[in-house]
Amino acid sequence: MEIYLPIAEMSVHWLLILGLGGGIGFLSGLLGVGGGFLLTPLLIFTGIPAPIAVATTASHITASSMSGALAHWRKRAVDLKMAAVMSLGGILGTGAGVWLFGVLRRSGQMDVAVSASYVILLGTIGALMLRESLAALRAARAGSPQRLPGKHLWIHGLPFKQRFPASRLYISVIPPLAIGFAVGALSSVLGVGGGFIVVPAMIYFLRMPTNVVMGTSLVQIILVTAATTVLQSVNNHAVDVMLALLLIAGGVIGAQLGVRAASRLRGEQLRALLAVVVLGVGAKLLIDLVSRPADLYSVMSGG
Amino acid sequence: MAFAICAAVPAGAAENLVSGLSQDRIDITSSYAGADIVLFGAIERPASDARPDIVVVVRGPDQDMRVRRKDRVAGIWINRNRVVLRGMPSYYFAAGSAPLDRIATGATLREYGLGLDSVVPRSTMGRHDPEPFRRALIRHQEAAKLYVQAEGGVRFLSGTLFRVHVPLPASAPRGKYVAEVFLLRGGQVIDVRSSTLSIDQTGLERRIYDFATLDPLAYGLSTVLIALLFGWLSAVVFRRPE
Repeated sequence: MEIYLPIAEMSVHWLLILGLGGGIGFLSGLLGVGGGFLLTPLLIFTGIPAPIAVATTASHITASSMSGALAHWRKRAVDLKMAAVMSLGGILGTGAGVWLFGVLRRSGQMDVAVSASYVILLGTIGALMLRESLAALRAARAGSPQRLPGKHLWIHGLPFKQRFPASRLYISVIPPLAIGFAVGALSSVLGVGGGFIVVPAMIYFLRMPTNVVMGTSLVQIILVTAATTVLQSVNNHAVDVMLALLLIAGGVIGAQLGVRAASRLRGEQLRALLAVVVLGVGAKLLIDLVSRPADLYSVMSGG
Repeated sequence: MAFAICAAVPAGAAENLVSGLSQDRIDITSSYAGADIVLFGAIERPASDARPDIVVVVRGPDQDMRVRRKDRVAGIWINRNRVVLRGMPSYYFAAGSAPLDRIATGATLREYGLGLDSVVPRSTMGRHDPEPFRRALIRHQEAAKLYVQAEGGVRFLSGTLFRVHVPLPASAPRGKYVAEVFLLRGGQVIDVRSSTLSIDQTGLERRIYDFATLDPLAYGLSTVLIALLFGWLSAVVFRRPE
């Protein structure tokens, strides 16, 4: 059955969107990734206009992050102070991103900018995931555990130091603010949660203890994607609540199934598989960018 | 345009048209996937036994269209050149009882706006020759089923009664549509009848659209609340024993 999307002003098959939300939710539950970086390009492939896809994916990420964050919250594995500092940067970044989004949309460069950014993003994530999962597979075979070296980084010399008791850290607020800002901007322009940047940044850069990293990043992602949804609604009228509902409903169910499946499946091999999918989507976008389009002309009505 | 039509119709012409639409209002509901309307018409007091020609045109609300052409820059194709075509129909349907070029001359077709070749902008803005951009727009709209030229789409049910199906895709914009029926003999327009049709969102869809445009802040906050609620619900419903 077709369902009409009142903001996108088009009709889509509801099962397709529900299935897409469910599939991405399953992956996020299984592998602990948000999946926005796959959901947005897939929505664009199904014919949803890029601005609507980018803006609406944010609310899907809010829902799946909320679902995950509650589990960490019960275990007290959240550094609220760190999440608040990063979200402050994130909300500022979102503001900048939503402004940029509007400029790109009006100048007609939105689609190219989104595609090109995704090629870089998916290429990088895919390559990193593939390398990491292959290394993990080798390590599992060799039986040697991986550990982080305790180096002293240049970030410890920055001013405005704050105590973060839950993370047992005493560091400057500048790095978390900057990371938050970058992720907020990415979130609003590309429709991604940014967990793939926040989590490694917290572990390798801020040196937060790994047990609070997941919960803290999820809380930060909830706040940033919520801000993205509100700002995109106000500035660009690009959030379609019907599309969001279908994606969310599929997503939360898929995520719970994914969490269950995770205990029965081998993580490293799945990660390698996902890495290949991510690289494939990136390659498709790259081919579309560099090959001569079937029609050189495109149309935007109104304005 | 209206003036031209009035001038072309001789006063007191015996032969004339009556026409009607199967519906004059289309409501967009949650399961809306486009609509198929039927236009009926009849020729009253035919001037001769020879069947006249009928052309039906349906136009959606006018819009300004920005058409962009991609160029290769540093290996990737990006939008470089832009022409704005002002006052193009958002939807356009034309059908004749025969191929249009056999019904009347190009000049007559253009005068009355019959057929895709007669769909021209009110004015244009841009540094480039607008014609390739106009043709690109028509190609694009045809692919989206928003511009349709159905040669022979007007079917005669009897000597004087005819019918035409007008397909409206789900992406046809909301607004007021005008359906015009032209009666021609020997390439001359003898009578014109027009009727209107409106497409609008109703019920829930209407309320969502109004909410999103009139109070976007509350709309955004509500969307966030829905997302949080769903996330919380799923965590509670699927909570695993610890």
